[in-house]
Amino acid sequence: MDLVVNVLSMCIPFSVALLLASLGEMFNQRAGIFNLGCEGVMAMGAFSGMLVPFLVGHGGAVPMVYNALGFLLAGVIGALLGLLFGLVVITFRAPQGIAGIGMQMFGVGVAGTLFRYFVGGTQSVPGVPSFPIPVLSKIPVLGKIFFSHNIVVYLAFLFVLLSNFILFKTSWGLRVRAVGTHPRAADSMGINVTLTRYESLLVGGALAGIAGAYLSLCQAKMFSDELISGRGFIAVALVYFGHWNPYKIMLGALLFSLAQTFQSVVQGLGISFPYEFAVMLPYILVIVVLAFSSRDQKSAPASLGKPFNREIRT
Amino acid sequence: MKRISSMLLVLLMAVSLFAGGASEATGDGSSDAVKVALIIENTIDDKGWCQSMHDGILAAQEALPGKIEYSYVEKMAVVDAGSIARQYVADGYDLIIGHGAQYKNVILELAEEYPDVSFAFGTSSEIGPENVFTYMPESEETGYLSGIIAGMLTKNNIVGLVGPVDGGDSARYNRGYVLGVQSVNPDAKILVAHTGSFSDFVKAGEVATSQIESGADMLTGSSQQAIGALRATAESPDAFWVGQDLAQLTTEEGKAKCIAASSYNYAAVIIDIISKLDAGVKGGECIPMNFNNGGFIFEYNELLADKVPQEVKDKVSEAMSNFTSAAGVLSNWSEVDYNTL
Repeated sequence: MDLVVNVLSMCIPFSVALLLASLGEMFNQRAGIFNLGCEGVMAMGAFSGMLVPFLVGHGGAVPMVYNALGFLLAGVIGALLGLLFGLVVITFRAPQGIAGIGMQMFGVGVAGTLFRYFVGGTQSVPGVPSFPIPVLSKIPVLGKIFFSHNIVVYLAFLFVLLSNFILFKTSWGLRVRAVGTHPRAADSMGINVTLTRYESLLVGGALAGIAGAYLSLCQAKMFSDELISGRGFIAVALVYFGHWNPYKIMLGALLFSLAQTFQSVVQGLGISFPYEFAVMLPYILVIVVLAFSSRDQKSAPASLGKPFNREIRT
Repeated sequence: MKRISSMLLVLLMAVSLFAGGASEATGDGSSDAVKVALIIENTIDDKGWCQSMHDGILAAQEALPGKIEYSYVEKMAVVDAGSIARQYVADGYDLIIGHGAQYKNVILELAEEYPDVSFAFGTSSEIGPENVFTYMPESEETGYLSGIIAGMLTKNNIVGLVGPVDGGDSARYNRGYVLGVQSVNPDAKILVAHTGSFSDFVKAGEVATSQIESGADMLTGSSQQAIGALRATAESPDAFWVGQDLAQLTTEEGKAKCIAASSYNYAAVIIDIISKLDAGVKGGECIPMNFNNGGFIFEYNELLADKVPQEVKDKVSEAMSNFTSAAGVLSNWSEVDYNTL
């Protein structure tokens, strides 16, 4: 029982970076933009997020407001990178896949360089402490699993509800879905396709930046230019996994994180099983689910990855 | 305008590809100095694998004034290492070190191409061609000391081990750790897990957290990713750490949580290679690293001196004197089977 509670209580905070980045990528893709550069944006977010508390505290304790400013800076930097990506793929209509790879390299490279310049070597920060919710965290079993995490974890899961509301219950969400599904029809209805796509990239970039900052401020509480280690690509895969739906994406992030946590706990049990297969388990899980759900892609944005030019009939 | 902007963006992204690398030359450039170049996949301040070699070369420079002219290049992927190594050859470097077993193929290829230049790579116990040195830290010795400390200080009788992959010197350190724990506390439960990566700090932190949640109160880890596990250990009020690199003692979390640490003293390897080069030997040898030949250093954390009882220090000293008096004391390290723990 303890093992199950431990695994479940760890998989929730470990899933947050993937969850936030996936939700951001979902907004991008719902608007028809495929952003493979999520990894690079997360790297920039991770660096800029830890920069504020580091410059203030030089690795020592700082008031929470500086961590909050770190998240804010990460969100702003992420949003700006989202707009930069928009400039390349919306205004210049560059191939989205190639531009995404470029953005990934750009983000990781620049974050590493700036880190060396401003910080130096591998450096930790005190980061965001746990905030067990009074009363609720004392509930047996459930308290440890759901209510004993840092504040960003609670906000991230609340943001799933908000994302669903924004996407399916607001006129902006309707516009996003329209430009991702049939941009020409949306254009003929008076929706500014270019502006809506830019707005989606801004939101997606901000969320990817915050996801990176979560890793550097809440989880690892340190930065290195290899901190993201492929999590940006997993986030992109989780959007397909979750059929562009916030709730399903949340389940995907939790499932991946559960598999990740489970494999590291199982390794410690001394079961005769090659650790290489244990490490592969979460990735195999994603591939298997994607393979079996590939025929059920009705919710995929019909114009995903296609540039829009109102003067050219496509 | 669009074309200019596109070109600028492409240029910016291309520049970012090379943004991680850095290099710097040190030394007085005297004519009889040996020109040494170091190629590493991480950075010189990673508080782990790459930093220990960089620090070792600097220490060798100090020990042999005017004898070594040194340059390094960081963040060098294996596929790019060949071109930078050829540049070093063209610049007249005498010894080019690819610090990591991943550079083996490129080093062997270059060694054949440039027989007058000496090369080195490690960790490897292979005997290379006549112009290639290899070096092999016998890290089971440092792991054993860490294991003694962890095994004697654990209160829950559960200790953790966060490994990268089960290979090279990490495999030796990890198995030495198991032997060390078992030598002083045969009943202790040893949780072993690998992240599958040398540099995924986040995953190392996750593994350490899962081990702490499973009751481990003394942990260790190897390779540069271990700093992530140390950071996670620092989050727990009851858990402590034993380090594989002295640089970990200088971090904030290390000061608070790292009881002791061992480190590779690459200065001994470099000085040995330089003396062999002076004697006309360009390679064809494997240089082992152990306490016996000064290849390892061990230190306690002065700030946590009150956490280490004298009996622990005595056990560590006893093992250390065994290692110092003879090499290969733990030749049975490879027999450790994690599945039987």
